[in-house]
Amino acid sequence: MAKTYEEINNRIKTGEAVVMTAEEVVDLVREKGAERAAEEVDVVTTGTFGAMCSSGAFLNLGHADPPIRMTNIRLNGVEAYGGLAAVDTYIGATSLIDPPGTGYGGAHVIEDLIAGKKVHLVATGPGTDCYVRKSIETNISLDDINEAYLYNPRNCYQNYGIATNTSDRTLYTYMGKLLPRMKNATYSSAGTLSPLLNDPHLDTIGMGTRIFLAGGEGYVSWQGTQFKTTVEEVNGVPVGGSRTLAVIGDMKQMDPKFVRGLDITGYGISLAIGIGIPIPILNADIMRNCAISDEDIYAEMVDYSLPSGRKCMQRYNYAQLRTGKIEYEGKTIRTSSMSSLAGARKVANTLKDWIEHGEFLLNEPCLSLPKEGKLKGLKDGGQ
Amino acid sequence: MEAKYRIDFDEGNVLESVTYTLVSEYDLKPNILRADITGDGSGFMLLSVIGDCDDVILGMNYLREIGFKVKELKGHISHDYERCWSCGACVSVCPTRSIYHEEETMLVKVNTKKCIACGSCLNACSVKAIQLEL
Repeated sequence: MAKTYEEINNRIKTGEAVVMTAEEVVDLVREKGAERAAEEVDVVTTGTFGAMCSSGAFLNLGHADPPIRMTNIRLNGVEAYGGLAAVDTYIGATSLIDPPGTGYGGAHVIEDLIAGKKVHLVATGPGTDCYVRKSIETNISLDDINEAYLYNPRNCYQNYGIATNTSDRTLYTYMGKLLPRMKNATYSSAGTLSPLLNDPHLDTIGMGTRIFLAGGEGYVSWQGTQFKTTVEEVNGVPVGGSRTLAVIGDMKQMDPKFVRGLDITGYGISLAIGIGIPIPILNADIMRNCAISDEDIYAEMVDYSLPSGRKCMQRYNYAQLRTGKIEYEGKTIRTSSMSSLAGARKVANTLKDWIEHGEFLLNEPCLSLPKEGKLKGLKDGGQ
Repeated sequence: MEAKYRIDFDEGNVLESVTYTLVSEYDLKPNILRADITGDGSGFMLLSVIGDCDDVILGMNYLREIGFKVKELKGHISHDYERCWSCGACVSVCPTRSIYHEEETMLVKVNTKKCIACGSCLNACSVKAIQLEL
């Protein structure tokens, strides 16, 4: 038995579609098997809410009178890119305030804009015959400006590593605060709910897939950067960072509940956002993939005190990690997550609600993402 | 009962043996969570005491009588539930497991009673949702 996007969308429009979250389908498939479950379920919703550093926003600020070609742009003191056309800019999530050190950055500007707050704009330009103005200082809000959309080059990492620290000093990393001598370990995946772990080979997720992006509608726009397919798989899913997505979505639709500017001690600024991807249950194989649960998904623990060449110390599954402690060579290590499972659930449930109420239709991808991808390193020029 | 106190001292009473008195005279079980002294002899300590309710009150009153400033810590750790996004980065750095995920909802919660005010969570939080007021 196979279903089509059209059939599923028709059922969504008439309110008949059966929608379950990726957590809810685990037991259903165990009880009834993938074939029966695939007949019953139309859509499985996934969700994740975590730090996604490779994110940012394109903004068109509008033309002043007389106009300016902005080459140096600050939003609440944070640098935005001045190398686009006159009043277009891109503000990256990790962009720092000048001078740095206040715990505020690009991600906070994005959060403030989505929350409807005024943001202070200071811009200068060379002054040209066509753009005579050389500077401007004003306040903007999301309502005042033209287009504002997130374009995130790498989100939704398909699995990630577990970080610990064997050294004698506390490390402050993008994986959080790592206490000395392996007192703790941190991980970052929504596990059972994680979008790309429920469609591990991207059979349904591709360019044009409509998604939940920070409380609004967004789209998968490309493969994410550092997309790779070479990671070893256990139970059909990779044991480390593997596939990624580039996503796009209108900031004016977004909800601040699903957006957080982060100041990660010792690392810097990042953006946490909630992303949910609906998986159409076109056949039993797709259903079987959605039945993956925390016990089946493994990640590798590595030592962040090593500057490079971090090898896997041991593999743990997410059910073990979520108990709050793991064992390593007879030692108990406290564990906690860097991404929000409560948030991931809220995303998956909100998306489920939208689809059940006929407010969100599925979009068939217009292009599959690559079946293969390898990661290249950067050669040191030796200078 | 168990209670936590901030006890401020100065040059005038810095040589008093606080814990000895609380143990021997008031039958209390004190545990020094933190103590700090500056060059002028003043400072403060955070003390957790376990004992009979009346004994705790009497013991603390005695310390006040001999010149210590005694303040009970009740809401010394505050958690901004609106700002917190329940990532859990603070959970594994807490030595007493005062910060935990609520089992049903996975929301991050703080148990003020168990918190020993070590402050380890403060710079583990990426949204400054936890504050310590001693």
